[in-house]
Amino acid sequence: MTTVPRADTQHRPSPLNTVLKSRLFQPTLQLIALFGFTLAILTGFFGTPAGSRNFGIVFVWIVWWALLIIVLVPFFGRAWCTVCPIPAPGEWLQRRGIVQRTPGKLRTLGKRFPKRLKNMWLQNFGFLTIATFSAIILTRPNISAGVLLGFIVVAVALSILYDNRVFCRYVCPVGGFIGLYAMMSPLELRVRDCQTCREHGAKDCVVGNEKGYGCPWMVYPGNLTRNTYCGLCFECMKTCPKDNITLRLRPFGSDLFVAKERRLDEAYKAFIMLGCALVYSTVLLGHWGWIKNWANMDSLPHWLIYAVGLWVFNLALIPGLFWVTTWMGRKITRANVPQRDLFVSFAYTLVPLGLAAWIAFSLGFVFVNGSYAISVISDPFGWGWNLFGTANAAWTPFAPQLLNFLQVGILMIGLMVAVNTAYRIARQHHSVHQQAFAAMLPIAGLLTLITGTFLWLYLG
Amino acid sequence: MLKRPEFITRVLLVLTVIGLPALILGYQFVLRPHLNSTRTIEISASTPENGGFQPASFTVEAGETLTLRFTSMDVTHGVAIGPGLGIDLGSIDPGHIKEVTLTFDHAGTYTFYCNTWCSINHWRMRGVIEVRDSLNPNAFPANQVDPVIAALAADGVDIDATTHNGSMNMDTTAMLPGRPSALRGAAIAVNLVIPTELQDQAWRRSHTPMQGIALLLSYNANASQTDLADAVAYLWVVEGSAETRTTTAQFYAQNCASCHGETGGGDGFMAAQTTETPVAFSDPNYLFGMRGDVLYAKIRRGGMGTDMPNFGTLITPEETWALVDYLWTLSLETDERTTGEG
Repeated sequence: MTTVPRADTQHRPSPLNTVLKSRLFQPTLQLIALFGFTLAILTGFFGTPAGSRNFGIVFVWIVWWALLIIVLVPFFGRAWCTVCPIPAPGEWLQRRGIVQRTPGKLRTLGKRFPKRLKNMWLQNFGFLTIATFSAIILTRPNISAGVLLGFIVVAVALSILYDNRVFCRYVCPVGGFIGLYAMMSPLELRVRDCQTCREHGAKDCVVGNEKGYGCPWMVYPGNLTRNTYCGLCFECMKTCPKDNITLRLRPFGSDLFVAKERRLDEAYKAFIMLGCALVYSTVLLGHWGWIKNWANMDSLPHWLIYAVGLWVFNLALIPGLFWVTTWMGRKITRANVPQRDLFVSFAYTLVPLGLAAWIAFSLGFVFVNGSYAISVISDPFGWGWNLFGTANAAWTPFAPQLLNFLQVGILMIGLMVAVNTAYRIARQHHSVHQQAFAAMLPIAGLLTLITGTFLWLYLG
Repeated sequence: MLKRPEFITRVLLVLTVIGLPALILGYQFVLRPHLNSTRTIEISASTPENGGFQPASFTVEAGETLTLRFTSMDVTHGVAIGPGLGIDLGSIDPGHIKEVTLTFDHAGTYTFYCNTWCSINHWRMRGVIEVRDSLNPNAFPANQVDPVIAALAADGVDIDATTHNGSMNMDTTAMLPGRPSALRGAAIAVNLVIPTELQDQAWRRSHTPMQGIALLLSYNANASQTDLADAVAYLWVVEGSAETRTTTAQFYAQNCASCHGETGGGDGFMAAQTTETPVAFSDPNYLFGMRGDVLYAKIRRGGMGTDMPNFGTLITPEETWALVDYLWTLSLETDERTTGEG
């Protein structure tokens, strides 16, 4: 494995260190987020049914989404999971406290979560299910609020049944793709010295101590090599008696080259995210009104065709194309590597491209519809309030002349990083440069084709 | 004993989860109505295929001040309220809101309707406001019979016939030589003998212009057919103010042009979708064969077997006559159409 340089952001002691170790840090952020979340649900159920005038739609699906996919995930990884209010009530119930470290075990029914579900498959299918109804969820405030409320109900229910954050780790459809794309982030929580962890028998970071709880994400920080399943709750930082946990800066996308942890469920997460970005770009930004109507359930047969098409596209067509390209690379190089391993390994090339595609797609509607936030902040329910004097602010697309340039630039960066990732993954399977290059070529072709499709959708 | 941070965060949690909803909903649904004497009714507007206006009907009391807030849910709609209120909120883009505060003085039935073409079923997009007398809520005004339509029925006039020239002794196949000009007609009329019937609005409304030409010919045997047509055109459009015609032209553009065409050519963008081809008001040979009261009746009642909706619940009889007067101008020379100047 290639060693890449890291920059420790926390010099002991530092203000950041103090803040992250404070028991008030995460609950404060969660309570602020919970305020917005409650408002989003209230506006969804009681506010205007016009999505563009409703806080629940505008601030969840435009403001929050843009913040998440354009800023938080690419630069801070799972930082949203630090703030997310959805698991908070369940976790506070388990802990019998919000800030305090309550002595004793977590209060749950102590059930064991099924082993076969301890992966990303539930999150994959959950995301696809949400995506299937997304044209409705994203535009109808009451349905959107119902989904948000449903998330919190499921999270609380699971926190009653099982210890720790089972919802976040195995169920949350959002958490799944945040985990995948957090691999791109230049920020990582890691141990300073693995040897220190190995020699420390108490493992306070796993079992907890008087300063904090054992890792709610069920991760052993001593073995942490990727961001995917670390929810940045900083409990381990609080509990580590050796002060061996730190936040570090590193090159973008470092986790993509951690070969030993690659899995089929994560590969499929990459396929689904890229596939959904393509479908969303077609449905929401494309010129074909009939597809939008089908996604909007203009009739049940049309919607069923759309739904089946979406699932087949994401679960069969995109993976199938990818399987063919990796098979071609294997045949060209006559590699003695199992096809399944190559298929899973190279799927991680879709992580940078998928993230770039989602950023480009999100810029498309944020630039166009972001100005709704200005009026909605003054009249969140659409009841004729004018809290900050901006309720009548006109809808004004932001810098439409810049949009396509940004989208093209981001997609091209995504393609270049993806092709570079493909080559570096190929080198993990082929020690000879020529072989790695040849194995990567069909994949690079597919990546270019996909990027071209996005460009055609945005510019065509 | 809870430590202070734990206590404060628990209080904040309760305030967020319980206090915030209670505060907002309590203010909006309990306190605000008490502070504000005006009742507000939220009405969402979607294409008829997606539900039209919601709610599509409601009851208010006469004298009650009311705020109606319309929100467009899907495409651009337009909202007007009639008859006789003169309320036109203009277009409402998706997600936007427009409102009007009004007081209904008398019991009766009013209609709010979309006046911007929004879908193939646009004309179905209507809602009803029932205004009841607060002192006598059970007494609701019965639908009044329109005297013009009743008179036509009593006379056995077929409203849906395509010509009504037959009641006078004249050549019903006669064709007009060209588009009449009310402007020329105004100059010509001063040199013609105008019989009293043609000076009578009631007679003109119950006869076709072609019948007017025939009558005028019997008094002015030497006049040319063109001059007579121009003079009749002038007599048929001479009444009504320019302001009324402008308002009526806007109403026509909003509510009629999608089928009958902007200039009355029967070629509106929805013409191909209708059960029967919309009539062309710009064809003088058609229009000069129609009676004003029949046009009035068709507008108010709607067309039987066609897709012509009824407008009797949207506009007053006076507004309907103004629309009939405007229709005559569509058959005139091009530069006289839109303003109806004559």
